[in-house]
Amino acid sequence: MPDNGRSPAGAATVTLTIDDREVTVPKGTSLLEAAALQGTALPHYCYHPGLSAPAQCRICLVEVEGAPKLQPSCVTMAQDGQVVKTDSPEALKMRKGVLEFYLVNHPLDCPICDMSGECKLQDYVFAEGREHGRGREPKRVFGRDDFGGDVLYYGDRCVMCTRCVRFMDEVARDSRLTVVERGSRAVIDTFFDEGLEGASFAGNVVDICPVGALVSKDFLHKARAWDLDSTPSVCPGCSQGCNIELHTRDNLVQRLKPRENAEVNGHWMCDFGRANYEGLNRGGRLEAPAAGRGAKRRPAGWDEALGQLFARLQAAAGADVKIVGSAEWSCEGLAALAAVGAETGEVSARVFRSRCAADEDRLPGFPALARRRDLAPNVDGARTLGFSRVGGEDAAGGLEEVAAHDGVLFVLGDDLADQEAAFGEAASLFVYMGAHGSEAAANADFVLPVTTFAEQEGTFVNVQQRVQRFWPGLRAPGEARPAWLVLGALLAALRGGEAAPASAAAAFSWLAGERAAFAGLSYEGLGAEGAPLAAPAGGNGAA
Amino acid sequence: MSEAPFRNPGWAGNTGEFDLAEADVRGVVASDGPPADGGHPSVAPSLPYMLAAKDPAAPLFEGPHLERFEKIKSRYPTARAALLPALNLAQELRGFLSPETMDEVAALLGLSNAYVRGVATFYTMYNKRPVGRFLVQVCTNISCNLRGAEDVLAAFLAHAGTELGETSEDGTFTVVEAECLAACGFPTCVQINSRYFEDVGPADVPGIVDRLQGELQSGAAV
Ligand code: SF4
Ligand code: SF4
Repeated sequence: MPDNGRSPAGAATVTLTIDDREVTVPKGTSLLEAAALQGTALPHYCYHPGLSAPAQCRICLVEVEGAPKLQPSCVTMAQDGQVVKTDSPEALKMRKGVLEFYLVNHPLDCPICDMSGECKLQDYVFAEGREHGRGREPKRVFGRDDFGGDVLYYGDRCVMCTRCVRFMDEVARDSRLTVVERGSRAVIDTFFDEGLEGASFAGNVVDICPVGALVSKDFLHKARAWDLDSTPSVCPGCSQGCNIELHTRDNLVQRLKPRENAEVNGHWMCDFGRANYEGLNRGGRLEAPAAGRGAKRRPAGWDEALGQLFARLQAAAGADVKIVGSAEWSCEGLAALAAVGAETGEVSARVFRSRCAADEDRLPGFPALARRRDLAPNVDGARTLGFSRVGGEDAAGGLEEVAAHDGVLFVLGDDLADQEAAFGEAASLFVYMGAHGSEAAANADFVLPVTTFAEQEGTFVNVQQRVQRFWPGLRAPGEARPAWLVLGALLAALRGGEAAPASAAAAFSWLAGERAAFAGLSYEGLGAEGAPLAAPAGGNGAA
Repeated sequence: MSEAPFRNPGWAGNTGEFDLAEADVRGVVASDGPPADGGHPSVAPSLPYMLAAKDPAAPLFEGPHLERFEKIKSRYPTARAALLPALNLAQELRGFLSPETMDEVAALLGLSNAYVRGVATFYTMYNKRPVGRFLVQVCTNISCNLRGAEDVLAAFLAHAGTELGETSEDGTFTVVEAECLAACGFPTCVQINSRYFEDVGPADVPGIVDRLQGELQSGAAV
């Protein structure tokens, strides 16, 4: 990340007064950041914590005692004994004037602008601008420009902060955006028709645009910001596990936005992950448990289904067990599944299948972040829990032995889309747990509806061996339950009356007690940003 | 005006790599003394790059131009800093900066083509479209405006047979407005390619247009 020429934040601190309150900050903190630490949010457009600060938007001006004129707080460093006034009449007057200039050519088309409700021009003008405009001149009109990819540009709304240009220069290191022309004719553009096509992190410019100048084509006119609920989550796109927010409305994910995590993804996420949310909205879900093979299948309540299943598992004690898991299910669910298998008999296979990309796609300006080859969020969690990957890069094949297995067979979260209807025909007991039904589940003795990660709490382990929590953003359909809840109850019964975990937190502390790799981690302690696994990954621990 | 015949004094920063005769710089007609029609001797030498023959397909860069390009690069600490003179040189050769030219210059300097486009479009003195053999820039800023620049502009448009910002059908004249040409003491000022014409009134315009046409026919045009 560009350091704006600041000295590294060391032990040295400075103490200054901002709006009559003293605040102590590390040396090298800008006034804008110092004010934020002290609780005063100063307006800013060109400054962004993940980019260099050119101090060109002139909206963060504050009064510094002794300075001959107002200072841009984003590049003025905090100094000992400084007295700063963010809301002096001078500062307010200046910012009001600057805002009036911003509105000279702004179309004020908030009613049809996707940014409305989360727009910094709206916010700042509402907070500090004039009540009424004084301009009588006609405004310039640019119309809109399709930049390719998912990005659409409305030049009329642009405040020329150049965040988008600097993101492409400094972070994507693909200087495709520039300011073309000057003065009131200035617009953001690429090299003529070149566009942003093929720039795989370009979607981030939509996030950092403080106004509605850069908008997502996918999200265009889809939902208003104030109608969206936001839930912290983890991107299911690949094993990087970028921290994200699920923005939902009407129980559907409307878009994904990156959530800051300095260790994992900074402020960013990739376009592949961003576009990859439709699976979370997929309909046709399993909604009620059912028991019985083929034509004999009957709906069953959870109590009934689990009661029967418990009896069958007890009867099968000592059997040869094969387990198919999924790298899209939580650690708690996978660990409980592995434990149920081990309680039942001899586990001879613990496998999962997941898609793989041909190569990685790294973000040059934030190299910790790459769209990884493993295109599932919990590949490392599954491996740590002793599952090994089978099948091809397209997540197909590799289940020949499992399909013909004549012992106990568990499938969790794998749709078996490539498998024949004869899958599991020979199994003495076949339990299918998933979000969607499958033709290959015809022989299942039990079909149990479980929730996706977006409908439950839980954890994934990313490629950095970091355990990260996610929260439920969607309501689960019908009677679907989290896998850890279902399997936790079974496990408790199999182990002879152990208390079954009743919450995700309890499931995690069970996991931390059960598996050495998770030892010492607490669910609370993971917080919103996660924590590294205690021990290095177990590798392919499958028998 | 001065008794002494004009001597080319060189120009600021002249390092001697330009081997131009006085006639190259000021045009043969002008090099015998101050031009009768007001062409001013003092400014032309500062704009030598406006004088080369323009060939839109000229290579970037070859021979002496390559030497100059290398010299430009050696004088600036970064490629970004060398961009303006490099674009000057490209415009000198090709007459305007097409998207292809911007792309080539970007590649030569190792800059992104988008950045080069941004710079080229920021400055109005880079021609982004082909211009005529003579680029007529009529100052319409305050001094000239007070002295009837609008009428001078109208006269040029009428006599050159073109619209504002457009090129006459025969490709001879492009007429544009200019903001202050820094000759406020001699309004109206008109810059034609690299030459300044001062104290121009609407009545002078036909004579200037005829003279330029004549230079073109005689092959003396610069
Ligand atoms: S498009 Fe948005 S991010 Fe880019 S300069 Fe304009 S306002 Fe800033
Ligand atoms: S890099 Fe991976 S985790 Fe991050 S946004 Fe892209 S797909 Fe999602």
